[in-house]
Amino acid sequence: MTGVGRRSFLRGALAGAGAAAVTGLTVSADAATSTAVAFHGVHQAGITTDPQKQAIFASFDVIAASKGELAELFTTLTDRARLLTAGGALPPLGITAPPADSGVLGPDMPGDDLTITVGVGASLFDDRYGLKGRKPAKLTAMKEFPNDSLDDSLCHGDLSLQLCASETDTVLHALRDIARHTRGAMQLRWRVDGFQSPPRPSGTQRNLMGFKDGIVKPEPADHDKLVWVGQGNGEPAWTDGGSYQVLRQIRMLVEFWDRVSVGEQENMFGRRRDSGAPLDGNSESDIPNYSADPTGGAIPLTSHIRMADPRTPDTAASQFLRRGYNYDKGTDSVGDLDMGLLFCAYQQDIARQFEAVQTRLIDEPLVDYIRPVGGGYFFALPGVRDSNDHFGRSLLA
Amino acid sequence: MRTPRPLPAAIALVALGAVVAVAVWRPWSGSADAVGGPAQITVSRSQCGQGWTGAKTGRQTIVVHNTGDAAAEVDLVEMSSNKVYGEVEGLGPNTSAPMDVQLGAGRYAIRCLIEDTDAITAPTVTVAGDGEGGPAAVAVTKNDMLPLVKQYEAAVAGGVADLAVKTDKLRADVDAGNLAAARTDWLPAHLAYNSLGAAYDAFGDFADKIDGSAGFHPLEKGLWHNASVAALKPIADQLAADVQGLQHDLPNEQVDPNDLGLRAHEVMENALQFELTGENDQGSGTSLNTALANLDGTAKVLAILDPVLKPRDPDLAQVQKWESRVRALLTAHRSTPVARLDQTSREQLNGAVGELLELLAPVAAICEVRRSS
Ligand code: HEM
Repeated sequence: MTGVGRRSFLRGALAGAGAAAVTGLTVSADAATSTAVAFHGVHQAGITTDPQKQAIFASFDVIAASKGELAELFTTLTDRARLLTAGGALPPLGITAPPADSGVLGPDMPGDDLTITVGVGASLFDDRYGLKGRKPAKLTAMKEFPNDSLDDSLCHGDLSLQLCASETDTVLHALRDIARHTRGAMQLRWRVDGFQSPPRPSGTQRNLMGFKDGIVKPEPADHDKLVWVGQGNGEPAWTDGGSYQVLRQIRMLVEFWDRVSVGEQENMFGRRRDSGAPLDGNSESDIPNYSADPTGGAIPLTSHIRMADPRTPDTAASQFLRRGYNYDKGTDSVGDLDMGLLFCAYQQDIARQFEAVQTRLIDEPLVDYIRPVGGGYFFALPGVRDSNDHFGRSLLA
Repeated sequence: MRTPRPLPAAIALVALGAVVAVAVWRPWSGSADAVGGPAQITVSRSQCGQGWTGAKTGRQTIVVHNTGDAAAEVDLVEMSSNKVYGEVEGLGPNTSAPMDVQLGAGRYAIRCLIEDTDAITAPTVTVAGDGEGGPAAVAVTKNDMLPLVKQYEAAVAGGVADLAVKTDKLRADVDAGNLAAARTDWLPAHLAYNSLGAAYDAFGDFADKIDGSAGFHPLEKGLWHNASVAALKPIADQLAADVQGLQHDLPNEQVDPNDLGLRAHEVMENALQFELTGENDQGSGTSLNTALANLDGTAKVLAILDPVLKPRDPDLAQVQKWESRVRALLTAHRSTPVARLDQTSREQLNGAVGELLELLAPVAAICEVRRSS
């Protein structure tokens, strides 16, 4: 059944290519993707934005020497983000300086869907900048969970940047530009480059374990309940419009995984590998019906999706928005491939949502094939409202 | 928000041999109001600057086209301030290149600097409007730099004389078999070399002999790893001899006026690459002392460049601010091997040196020697 689907998809693709060849038309990826995403808004872009293909997640230690320098850092970040996401040529510097940018995107940089999402970690609220009393109510350092193997150099940080765009050169250009303008105020602590795969053959993209990943997400109508932080959640007023960001660098032991039978793999996730359908359904969009399967005959009680969200009235409030990316970091010291999932989640309350789900997932069967090595908890700042606003305005006010 | 890109079309026109003057092109305006493409300006002995029409304030790209038979450099100069707003270097015959500029109201002229020809300044074009001008500076000429180069040469000569005294002492220690004294005297000698404000190929072959694969570092390695006097003697002798060689050779070594500005950032680029990483450390654990000596050398160069920089670099106060911050950090961590610094201190150092380098890069750009006649 899936075989047929794949063949018919291929046929469609070939027919398309043939038509293009006959008419001499080529499909320009450039024309299709070079759009700018609005930078200004109540919320930051890059959270509910449909995931672009390429990403960089970077965590920085802030080294600004005073609160004033921290304020300058936020202003600089705002200015660069505004310029970079809008696209166009950067203002010329004449003979007074080296070129205004790295040139990686050519003389007239495309907006290319770039989003720049800035978060702050709990450590920024220590006594360096007098911000102790301003910490978002639910922000802590990332916890270590029972199945974790955390490497401190891959964890935490004062400030996170999520850069997403259609193309790799765009996110790299943005990272270089921002680092160049902020060297004296923050230093890179860790970084993971991520990518979303194209639909294979259709629907949701696949992770590096071969399963469709990112199928279930909260309805937009529920974002105010699940994603955005607002007054009335016991939060300081300045946090209004922000969201908690959980990043986890989770390595996949892909060599081991590839030696596991497909049936066992599917039971671990609770979904079909080919179609992404829940094991009690036929297509990826089917909703698992756990009440009709109380003993887990179809979808095992220990499967990832069932443990992560048993879909009971009690667990509804623990749902959150996942926006993860595949990563590939080369090879480890014994010649195994170092790749996995940069898990990224946005939510209103880390304890109520991510930590509750992660706690349910402790010792799930999947843990033998994955290894959380890094990450951090951050608070994605409220959006920059207009051209007079800047990141951190309400925080530092 | 797609921006139009008429440039390739404009270049195609040029390739056809047509020299067309057209309205100013504003690629960033986002609308397709560009009429045909950017202004085309001729660069040649007989027609310097012809074809510049439609000039306005604000950002614009103009295309310069060399219709002559010799390579040329083209500057766009505001005549009352003499500031250069745009520049294209190395424009070969029959080629064109875009010049991206941002102009305020003023009186501008194209200056054609054609090989083996006196500078030709085209007729002045008055630009009116309320668009803001971008950063610009009066070109630094060879004449501006020559007295500074003399000062720099004198400072280096003094520094090398001091260095020679110190390497002679180091040699005497080793020759006398007193390696404890040699370990003490190695550092001041090494710092004397590193505060000269020289980088890369400044001293030709001497640089590598003195502070590269030979000289100070092999000596350091031996001194801090219990090498024998017999093994170290030839290295110390050779080092002292090479420093003397450098001292004798110095009057023949001409400093290119362009190098002064480059040194202002290259010395600290070296410090970042080789000292802050600990890469050069052969056991003495003094990379940060070396970086501090490099900073002294940089400060010397900046002090000499001051008369040229003061009227041109609006960020000079920032340069000073970050120079002092780097100095304070390096002083605080002197004699600590970088690997033993805690992460915060290391990040503060890397960040401060990085920021200083971002500010020194414009110094090198501004001090590039340009023809004006
Ligand atoms: C390498 C590690 C992980 C892999 C490979 C993985 C893979 C998957 C897959 C294939 C699905 C089903 C498709 C979908 O709805 O997207 C899924 C669903 C889900 N995962 Fe994960 N996941 C990982 C880690 C995590 C972590 C750390 C959490 C949270 C603590 C989590 C929470 C969820 C949730 C809430 C769902 C949706 C369940 C539902 O509503 O049906 N996952 N994951």
